Amino acid sequence: MSQTENLLKRLPNDIGGLPAEPIQRVDHELEPWEKRCHALADVLDFHKILNTEEKRRGVEALGSEMIGKLTYYERWIAAFANILFQKGILTPTELARKMDEVAARWGDEPPHPPA
Amino acid sequence: MSQHEHDHPHAEIGQSERPGYYDMMETAVRELLIEKGLFEAGEIRRQIEVLDSRTPALGAKVVARAWVDADFRARLLANGRTACEELGISFYDDTKLKPYRARAVSEPRAVLAEFGTHIPDDVEVRVSDSTALVRYLVLPRRPDGTAGYSEEQLAGLVTRDAMIGVIPVTAGEAGVSR
Amino acid sequence: MSGIVLATGEAPPFRRGDRVRVMTRAPVGHYRVPTYLRGKSAVVERVIEPAAIDNEEEAYGRNAGSKRHYYRIIVPMTSIWPNYAGSARDNLRIEVFETWLERIAS
Repeated sequence: MSQTENLLKRLPNDIGGLPAEPIQRVDHELEPWEKRCHALADVLDFHKILNTEEKRRGVEALGSEMIGKLTYYERWIAAFANILFQKGILTPTELARKMDEVAARWGDEPPHPPA
Repeated sequence: MSQHEHDHPHAEIGQSERPGYYDMMETAVRELLIEKGLFEAGEIRRQIEVLDSRTPALGAKVVARAWVDADFRARLLANGRTACEELGISFYDDTKLKPYRARAVSEPRAVLAEFGTHIPDDVEVRVSDSTALVRYLVLPRRPDGTAGYSEEQLAGLVTRDAMIGVIPVTAGEAGVSR
Repeated sequence: MSGIVLATGEAPPFRRGDRVRVMTRAPVGHYRVPTYLRGKSAVVERVIEPAAIDNEEEAYGRNAGSKRHYYRIIVPMTSIWPNYAGSARDNLRIEVFETWLERIAS
């Protein structure tokens, strides 16, 4: 089996049985925005706008690099944005403008992702 | 320039420093969807309250009730979700960590050992790979030596790790919520 | 049972105790059956009722359509992992949608 075939055939979260390091227990208190993000997922699911399976697929579709680098809820919100674009509910420009507006409440710098 | 008429996110949940990139993305997505009338801000607030109410202590309550009430236990094993709703509870699982997901299915005994649980060779280990369709509440065995315990005392023995099935519940140890 | 006629696809084709095999296809795109399970033989532990939407379809927002059953299957660990370190009686249980399973003739 070629190397690149595996990238298509195995989803990034399909890791059952692969080697991994020892388990480290960390108690993570959710930040307020993470709670809001989880609540957003539940409300979207309730309104049948975006269901749990779609969210799961949306996270997988981010690809292994992003999955490795984004935290759990960061992956969710990124997936939501993509899926809402695909469904024509939001456009990338709308979201960018709104994010600028949100950022402006805190000062003049536009929002930028961590390096 | 224009004052915001709708609720501000940092008016609801106190925030003193500039939010991160994804935090602002969440705010932007939520506000846009509310502006488009897909749902109302109150629904998010109410759902946050629901999420806040889900603590390991509630799961421990379910387990303790199942230990003292045989009819409740039977209802719980038949339909976990509706039985929990009887007590006003919904539950979630915490086993999303990558090493756990990779290793629990292929070397469950080693994973259990990392939690301090050693299963003898003559005891069968069953691993459940969870799907969204069916969520499992692990009903731990009631420990010996707890015959006279009140429901509250029993709930105090049940830890989060016991509820995901990686450690047993023992008597005489207060449940530590980790 | 008199008076009840099930439409095609309503009665689950597999029952508790049936021997089944997880198919070996390797889809590109979204799937819900882990790679480690493909091609493995299993025994049906129970039929999940009621019939439901294929979660692989649901992942693309296709929430309607013909429903089939999920089955909780039991797979011995030793048949999944070549160097499994544990009891030969250890097993894994997982729910799988009907379209991923085929019957093993006994």
